[in-house]
Amino acid sequence: MSEGHMSNDEFLASLNDLFSTGRTKDHGSIYLTQKCMTYSQDAPPSATPNIPFPDLNPAKPLPIIIRATNGKSKEKRAQKIKLSTIVEVAALEGFYARYAEVCKVGMSGLKKRDRSKAKEKLKAKKKKQGAAGAGAADVKS
Amino acid sequence: MPYLPTAQLWLTQSSLLLSARPATTRITTKYTIAPKPKSKSSKPKPISATETEAPALSVPAAPTAELTLKTFDPVSGTTLKYKTNKAAEVSRLIQILGRLARGMGNGGKGIDVGEERVTVGIKMEGVVEGVVETVKEGLEKVVGGVGGGKGKKKGKK
Repeated sequence: MSEGHMSNDEFLASLNDLFSTGRTKDHGSIYLTQKCMTYSQDAPPSATPNIPFPDLNPAKPLPIIIRATNGKSKEKRAQKIKLSTIVEVAALEGFYARYAEVCKVGMSGLKKRDRSKAKEKLKAKKKKQGAAGAGAADVKS
Repeated sequence: MPYLPTAQLWLTQSSLLLSARPATTRITTKYTIAPKPKSKSSKPKPISATETEAPALSVPAAPTAELTLKTFDPVSGTTLKYKTNKAAEVSRLIQILGRLARGMGNGGKGIDVGEERVTVGIKMEGVVEGVVETVKEGLEKVVGGVGGGKGKKKGKK
């Protein structure tokens, strides 16, 4: 079903599309998964009695695979969208900066910080200060 | 399958899990938009059942979104979760994911857990204070044995 891995740029663009299609509906999920890439041949060998945790000391840093799906399965499997990309260790920092941007824009359904209460408080404070401003200049300072 | 109370705690625990099993652990971020859960209307309220149904019908107009972070290691079966609905947390959480990703590739080493060090520092201060107190007490005893009442006061300074 998946057509191989995409480049990092393609992945981020497709992820953006995936988020925007989700935004038009009032329900649905998007799953993002990140994992160490261990499928290739240079993956750490499986555990042996001598080396019980071979993955603790990889010969070289392993790339990270990042997957995204819209979680459609079973009878809706035909609508399933699967995206994946492999990020090399050196590119992680740059990728995550852009990834964060895409997620911030895409996850618009989350609660915004509620500033209305803070504003009301500020207004009340100003009113108080305005009323007492003439007489209580010393108190303010 | 615990939900951790803070993102910081989730990061700390996840980094520990990653340092134990860097190759098998995966981190899933789930973003869900759901119509408001029906829990309100399904609550047993025999008296005002008709009253509660009316607002419940108007509520789905504003669906709520949720972000769930899950660290899962299929080998040991460990699961760590953190759930939030605040948009303000997203960029920090993705930043955390980036840090953990770097740790994953490195065999679980060198994950910067950030604020944890601060709490360790506070703990250390407490310990130092405790040590100072016991030393002071010891001094007071010695000085008190030699010089009597006046010596004690000097020790306290």
